[in-house]
Amino acid sequence: MTTRRRFLATLLAAGATPRLGWAAVGNPAFLAAARAPDGGFALYGLDQTGGVTFRVPLPARGHAGAGHPARAEAVAFARRPGQFALVLDCATGRVQHHLAPPEGRQFNGHGVFVNGGTLLMTSEQRAGDSRGLIGLWDVAAGYRRIGDWDSGGIGPHDLRLMPDGATLVIANGGIATDPFDRTKLNIPTMRPNLTYLDLDGTIMEQVELDAGLWKNSIRHLAIRADGLVGFAMQWEGEEGAAPPLLGLHRRGEAPVLAEAPLGDELAMKGYAGSIAFSGDGAEVAITSPRGGRLHRFAEDGAFLGAVSRADVCGLAARGGGFLASDGLGGLIAVTAQGARPLGHVDCAWDNHIVTL
Amino acid sequence: MRRLAVILLALGLAGPARADVDAALDRHILPAFAGFAGAAERLADAAVADCRPRAVAPAYQAAFDAWMAVADLHIGPSETGGLSIAFWPDARGFTGRVLSQLIADEDPVAFDPLGYAEMSIAARGVLALEMMVFDPAYSHYDKGSYACALVRAIALDLSRQAVALEVAWRDGFAATLRSAGGAGNATYLTGDEALRALYTQLLSGLEFTADQRLGRPMGSFEQPRPARAEAWRSGRSLRNVLLSVDAAQALAHTLSGGALPQTDAAAARVHAMAGRVGDPGLQGVSEPQGRLHVELLQQAVRAMRAAIEAEIGVPLGIAPGFNSQDGD
Repeated sequence: MTTRRRFLATLLAAGATPRLGWAAVGNPAFLAAARAPDGGFALYGLDQTGGVTFRVPLPARGHAGAGHPARAEAVAFARRPGQFALVLDCATGRVQHHLAPPEGRQFNGHGVFVNGGTLLMTSEQRAGDSRGLIGLWDVAAGYRRIGDWDSGGIGPHDLRLMPDGATLVIANGGIATDPFDRTKLNIPTMRPNLTYLDLDGTIMEQVELDAGLWKNSIRHLAIRADGLVGFAMQWEGEEGAAPPLLGLHRRGEAPVLAEAPLGDELAMKGYAGSIAFSGDGAEVAITSPRGGRLHRFAEDGAFLGAVSRADVCGLAARGGGFLASDGLGGLIAVTAQGARPLGHVDCAWDNHIVTL
Repeated sequence: MRRLAVILLALGLAGPARADVDAALDRHILPAFAGFAGAAERLADAAVADCRPRAVAPAYQAAFDAWMAVADLHIGPSETGGLSIAFWPDARGFTGRVLSQLIADEDPVAFDPLGYAEMSIAARGVLALEMMVFDPAYSHYDKGSYACALVRAIALDLSRQAVALEVAWRDGFAATLRSAGGAGNATYLTGDEALRALYTQLLSGLEFTADQRLGRPMGSFEQPRPARAEAWRSGRSLRNVLLSVDAAQALAHTLSGGALPQTDAAAARVHAMAGRVGDPGLQGVSEPQGRLHVELLQQAVRAMRAAIEAEIGVPLGIAPGFNSQDGD
């Protein structure tokens, strides 16, 4: 059996740069950032059973991340207003690159690899007026900044590559923020949208909800293999209004809003933190750490049920169902049959789980 | 590390039922739900015997009193079950709208107490009943009227809800709390989490009292909002504040088991400050002096929250939610 040391030695002897694939770090299925018990922060690799395959330290609290499609390399994004993103070698924990947004720009917490991992795209905003931008980074050239596109809105947050590999979908949250903190500046006039860009940066389609829902910030995205887009929202309007927090959209069609019964909707506290389609694609779920709840919906938007779990936020497809993580260190498997504990790690899982 | 946890779990060493969680359930929560079920049944009996406001009001007040002992629990069956018992705050005025519609249509659901469970939660529970019995726009009804049937339906539905909630806590969720950390418990993964959940309810309940029960009617200095007070029509907004604080104090004692001098002093101060608020429905917020007294009361409630944090949360090392406080 080849030891890891011998494997590394072989690579070095062959003169290859040690750019290892995900197999070298235990074939994680997921990436998740967390706060460790000592108060420090780290990025974890998790396998399908919730087991930790690797753990590398982070210098500060992260938000989301992106995993390179082939190499054991992850980009961890700072929380908003983000001044850094780190490219990490998940085998060694070494920081390979420090990415900083250009002068007067801020990272907004999410990014995605495109073109087979040759290009990284980051959601950003102009510090002065929160105008949304998509930053472009040439991965092969050592993550060199090569340009940016207009995101088609204010305060973009999540962004994803569509299954065609040629379209980007962006959640323009609509919220303008203070350049130095998260103070929201434009709640009365905010106007979020969902924007589709082709890989030249041209706007292909934009989707807005009715004016009564403009205070519903579109923030997180999940994509099904057939191109169905799920978007999760966070309500900035009056408390107790219980608006829908999930929308489903198919290119060229009107969005479908998914609502839970009033009592369940109120218990979500107007806030969805993460979204994912189930592994079999038949369901879509959102989490609310404020409400300590996960809501499951059918693909047509019909409410299927709730799972209660304190501080739950991270969400990804697992098996036919879902994997949920929470601030108490819990990893929970959720299926149509119910929820069961999968594991518990002595840490506080952060907002998102990234599927590799 | 994880393997060790699994072994401990298998040996039954992790996640023993916490004495404090047991005490909270057995000495406060479960008896209070039983008390509410009894009070709601007496209210339904009263409404069936005589649906008119004067006959229903005393039993309504007693049932609302009983409810306040558990009103601020929002876990387990109460997570959504509490909302159809006390639907408040009603930011969009759902309750009035749905009741008016029912009355205008003379909807037959009022004659179908079982079917009433399918109604919007805004038309159910103590606050729907309050509007029917105490709001002059609704309360001028007589025996034999549609409104009379509606009052009976709401009261009967409330009684059934109270029983269902008591049973769900006693025969279901209490075991989930007691078995925290046990195999298959997907709600509480470690022994500490049940205690943490109850402690969190304490804090969020006092927050709700300060920010909503008191904060909503206060509105802004320029624009006070007396009609946004909880249960102001029946003149029990202030009483609800005090009962919620009393419930938090009682629950805190069962959870901690030890002396809580700061918490007790803070609760006494809440009562003292409440004594200076004149109007039981908090309608005095419209006057600068009245508003000031409510603001002082609000500060006293927040001080009690801080005292509980210091006396229970800090010793247990419980910090606020990692993600729920983050927001992004």
